[in-house]
Amino acid sequence: MDQMKNLAREIVALCSVPSVSGFEGRSTKEIQRLYEGRFDRIETDAVGNHFLWKTCGREGAPRILVDAHFDEIGMLVREILEGGFVRLVSVGGLSPSVLQAADVILYGKEVLRGVIVSTPPHLRSAEDDRLPDCEELLVDTGFSKDELEKILPLGSPVGFAPDYRELLGGRLAGKSFDNKACAAIAASAIAGVPREALAGDVVLMLSSFEETSRLGGASAGAFGLSPDYAMVIDVNLATVPDVPKSETVPLGEGISLSVSAATDRALTLASQKICKEKNIAHTMIAAPSSTGTNATAVQLVGGGIPTVDVGLPLRNMHTYNEVIDLADAEALASFVEAFVCDGEIAKNFCVREELPK
Amino acid sequence: MRTYDNDLTLLRELSLLFGPSGCEGEVADAIERALPALCDSFTRDRMGNLTALIRTGDLSSENRRRVMISAHMDEVGVMVSEICEDGLLRFDTVGGIDVSVLEGRKVLLGDESHRISGLIASKAIHHKEKKDRNKPTPISKLFIDIGAKDRAEAEQVLSVGSVGVFDSEFYRFGKDGAFVKSKALDDRMGCAAMLSVMSALVRERPTADLDLYFCFTVREEIGLSGAKVVAQRIAPELAIVLETTAVADLPETEPAKRVAALGKGGALSVMDRSTVYDREFLNFARATAKERDIPVQIKQYVSGGNDAGSIHKSGVGVRTLALSVPTRYLHSPACVASVEDYHSVTSLVEAMLRAMDTETS
Repeated sequence: MDQMKNLAREIVALCSVPSVSGFEGRSTKEIQRLYEGRFDRIETDAVGNHFLWKTCGREGAPRILVDAHFDEIGMLVREILEGGFVRLVSVGGLSPSVLQAADVILYGKEVLRGVIVSTPPHLRSAEDDRLPDCEELLVDTGFSKDELEKILPLGSPVGFAPDYRELLGGRLAGKSFDNKACAAIAASAIAGVPREALAGDVVLMLSSFEETSRLGGASAGAFGLSPDYAMVIDVNLATVPDVPKSETVPLGEGISLSVSAATDRALTLASQKICKEKNIAHTMIAAPSSTGTNATAVQLVGGGIPTVDVGLPLRNMHTYNEVIDLADAEALASFVEAFVCDGEIAKNFCVREELPK
Repeated sequence: MRTYDNDLTLLRELSLLFGPSGCEGEVADAIERALPALCDSFTRDRMGNLTALIRTGDLSSENRRRVMISAHMDEVGVMVSEICEDGLLRFDTVGGIDVSVLEGRKVLLGDESHRISGLIASKAIHHKEKKDRNKPTPISKLFIDIGAKDRAEAEQVLSVGSVGVFDSEFYRFGKDGAFVKSKALDDRMGCAAMLSVMSALVRERPTADLDLYFCFTVREEIGLSGAKVVAQRIAPELAIVLETTAVADLPETEPAKRVAALGKGGALSVMDRSTVYDREFLNFARATAKERDIPVQIKQYVSGGNDAGSIHKSGVGVRTLALSVPTRYLHSPACVASVEDYHSVTSLVEAMLRAMDTETS
């Protein structure tokens, strides 16, 4: 139970770090603060990826990539209007249904609080029931236009305010579990493994740009690393009413493993075997031609990287109240730990391939 | 101008309390704890309204004027209407909340004794067809998720009829913290302003012969009902309703529809959907504001309504005034008001009560 709470704390800490797509690089200090000393080294690259290295200390060991994208959906400042109102442009797929009256934080030269405007029922006409897109809404900042222009440059990122709650049965609600919850769970799991137990050198890549272009950070990062094999972790849409069960995964029943033509079938089956042997709750899901995650991109990097796609069930994706189940988080942590320690996978997937001569 | 509740401690405390219409007990308890130091006597009626009396001037005089000052304690909220098999809750609103500010929000659910966190959700944008993304999700397709895995788990903590309010942070923002953001500013600002006025009046009482009834009412949001019975009991000659009024002073709103503007003082109503206000009393309020140099504005759009609607028609009729703090995004988890306006409303009410004499307004 206590360990569960620790994991929740780690998730909330990383998910609170602002990282709107394109601005991931601004969070290096926060990542260092959270993970310094728990990994061998923390590196960055040209496109905003962060790499957390944990080496096994053996010469010529396989290189294992664990990818979890670190960027989050958000907004940018597009225009400053009279009365200190700010017009926005969305970054990633924002749902118009949750924007009005949301608390936001504007990351300019100063960090400012703001509220997205809404129309009260008193002033709303009956026919006026269209939900405006992000681009049509404004943020109320409480400054004058002149004051705001000095402290909030155009293009500054705007994110939802972090505010977390525990629900019944060890569930958590809050922002940016997509996908920093997965990143935090993987970091916690890998940091906790004794070096000598690792099956190779492990790189946890907190990749950039997933929400805006599904190849951005992860493919560049994977190219630079050229790992022997990879696991991509991302959140997965959890079951809710009014959506066919076949399109979702149950919440609270463990992780999901995607069976897909876009990932490595043998590595997927080996991952399933780990789950069975270690008694890790999991659901196999069918993602015929694309996983909808970085896995689709990573497996085609360089000469090809055997990749498995792992999912953490999540409700209310792309809102500031996403919901995850800590039992699923624990299952994911157990799976990551077992995966990076699995000698059989290391042996089977660490193959140097050459062109015919 | 005198300033009250300078650091907004009082407003913060009251705004964050749990008080959906019909379940105002927590708010009433907090106010009741403050009352002994702020008035001569007070009662709580069986509906839940609190009425506090301050008597001034010559207590033996037969020409005492009865003045009612009121603000409502309740706030808009939600009520659980069904606990589903999968542990999710269906619900309806208590009072008027637009669906556009429901989806995605945190709520606190419960009753008089316990609270539990939940959030309002529907299917993710990924599962919505493109043509539906700009349509508000009807309330019948929204649910509240409290984390329960099935009906039995949910029923351990809640039942049909459990109520809830927005769970939303209180903070100051803008230049030098000029604005305040919270749920339930409607009408905890009115309640907080009344407590400040009472505190000032008790310290230094007006000289005229007045019976000042400060009323903290229930159930305004579902049809102005608490104030009605209080007004009938008091049968005042004059009534001042302290409220918030919805404004839309956004750059894109045409000036005629902005209602009022933040930062320009309290808003006096001439007419709204429930009341045409007493001209003489309105003029008295404007004259007092002018004399004391307290900013005030006239509400410029016929919209909304408040407890004045039931008070002015009660008994043999009551000359009624509504003074409101202009508030953006009313009935949402993020209401926004100007701290200065809140203080001006408090100042103007105190000034008016001090300026009233025994004979005429």
